[in-house]
Amino acid sequence: MAAMSATNDELELFDNFRADLDDHNDRRERLIKASRDVTNLSKKTIFLLHRLMMEDSNISTVDNAPGKRAALRGREKLVEVQTIYAGLKQELEGDRFWRYQSQVSPGLQEYIEALGFAHYLEYGSLITFDQVQRTLADSQGIPYFPLTISDYLLGLSDLTGELMRYAISGISRRGGRKKASEVCAFVRGCKSDFERLTPYVWELKKKQYVTAQSLEKIEDAAYAIFVRSSEYDLSPEMLDDIVAQAISSYSTDGLSARSRRDFSHDNLEDT
Amino acid sequence: MDPQDLETLNVLLDRDVELRENIKDQVNEIDKKTRTMVGLLNKIHSTPWDAMPSLLDSVKPVLTSCQEVTAALASIVPPNQFWRWKDLWSNSLRTAVFAAALIEYLSNRRLITLPKVAETLGLKNEWQDRVALPAEDYLHGIISLVNELSRLAVNAVTLGNFDEPIRISIFVKNVFAGFSMLNLKNDTLRRRYDGLKYDIKKIEEVVYDVSLRRLASSSSVQSVPSTAQ
Repeated sequence: MAAMSATNDELELFDNFRADLDDHNDRRERLIKASRDVTNLSKKTIFLLHRLMMEDSNISTVDNAPGKRAALRGREKLVEVQTIYAGLKQELEGDRFWRYQSQVSPGLQEYIEALGFAHYLEYGSLITFDQVQRTLADSQGIPYFPLTISDYLLGLSDLTGELMRYAISGISRRGGRKKASEVCAFVRGCKSDFERLTPYVWELKKKQYVTAQSLEKIEDAAYAIFVRSSEYDLSPEMLDDIVAQAISSYSTDGLSARSRRDFSHDNLEDT
Repeated sequence: MDPQDLETLNVLLDRDVELRENIKDQVNEIDKKTRTMVGLLNKIHSTPWDAMPSLLDSVKPVLTSCQEVTAALASIVPPNQFWRWKDLWSNSLRTAVFAAALIEYLSNRRLITLPKVAETLGLKNEWQDRVALPAEDYLHGIISLVNELSRLAVNAVTLGNFDEPIRISIFVKNVFAGFSMLNLKNDTLRRRYDGLKYDIKKIEEVVYDVSLRRLASSSSVQSVPSTAQ
C-alpha cells in the first residue's frame, strides 16, 4: 500500500514536469519558426537592396539619391520583420529571452545585416547599436527584448560580405570605382574595429576570416583597375570595359563564398 | 565605427567578462563541495546498512553549505539573466541534486521532490530570474541517482543485504515510469533517459539472482512478482 501511494506521488510529480517541458519545447519550436521567417525576409531585403542599387546607372551621385531611395524601400520591407518581433515580445519576456537566445540569434543577425546594409547605402556609415535596438522597440521606446552586442557585431560582420558584393558588382559602372574604394576603406575600418572585440565574441573570430577574404577581393579588384589605368593611357569608358572583364571572375567567387556561408548558417540554426 | 561607440561596446563586453569570472569562482566553490560529497557517498557501496545514517550525517553539512554558494550566485547574477549564465553552473548543480536525492533515498527510500532539493540548496523563490533549479537539471540529478542505485544493488548483495536490490528495483521502476511520461526532445536528458534501461536490466538481474536462491527475506520476495511485470 505504501508503495502504491509513493508511485502516485512520483507520477504526479512528473506530470508537472511534462507540462513544463512541453511548454518549453513548444515555445522553442515557435521561436525557431519565427527566426526562419525573419531570416527569409531579411535575405529578400538584402537582394532587394542589391537590385535597386544595380538599377540606377549612376550609383555615385552627389546627393546619393539612389542610396536613399533603396534604403527607404529596404526599411519598408523590414517593417515586416519588426512586426514579427513585436509579436514575440511575450515569448521573450523577462529571462526567457536568454533561455531562447540561441533560437532567436540567427534571424536577428540576418535582420541586423539587412538593416545595416540599408543604413550604409543611405549614410555611408555603420549603424550603431542603439539605432538597431530602437528599431526593435514599441512606440514608447520599450525594447521587445534586449539586443546583445554579440548579435549586433555578428550581424555587421556578415554585412561586410554584402558590401563586397555590392562594390564588385558595381565596379564596372560609372562611378563604381569611386564607390568601390569607399566600400574598401569602410570594410577595412570595420575589420580593424571588430578585431579589437574578437576576444569577447568567439564567433566573431571565425567571421573575421570571411571579412578578411571579402576585403581582399575588393582590394584585388581595386588593384586590377589601378594597374591597367597606369599602364595604359586610356579613357574612362575604355577602362570600364577592361575592368568589367577583369572582375567577372571575382563576382562568381563572391557568390560561391556567400552560398557556402549560408549553408553553414542554416546548419547552425537547426541545432 | 565611431570611436566612442566602440569604447562603449568594449566597456560593456569587459563587464560581462568580469561577471563570468566572478560566477566561475563560485562554480569552483560548489565543485569543491560536490567533489567532497561524491567522494563520501562513494562509501555507501562498502557501508553496512546500519552504519549508513552516520555516513549520511557526515555528508549533510557539506550539502547544506552549498547554500552559501547559491546565495553568492544570486547576488552576482543580474536580474532576468538566469538563463544567460546557468550553463556555467548547471553541471555542478546537477551533482548537488544527485547528492541530495541519494541522501533522501538512503534515509527515507523516497524520491526527493524538486521543491525539496531547491530548499536544501537554499534557492529562494524570489531568485527565480537569477538562480533557480529548472526541471531539466533536477531530472539529470535523478538519472544520476538511478545510475548509482544500480551499482548499489550489486554491492548491497556483496555486503549480505539481499533485500536492498528488491527495494531499489521497485523505486527505480517508479522513477522510470515517471520519466516515460515526459516528451523529451533529442538532447542529453533524452540520451541519459534511454540509458536507464541498462540500469534497470542490471538491477533486475540482481533481483533475479537473489530471489532464485531464496536469499531475500520472505516479505520482500513476495513483492517480487508485482515488480517483475
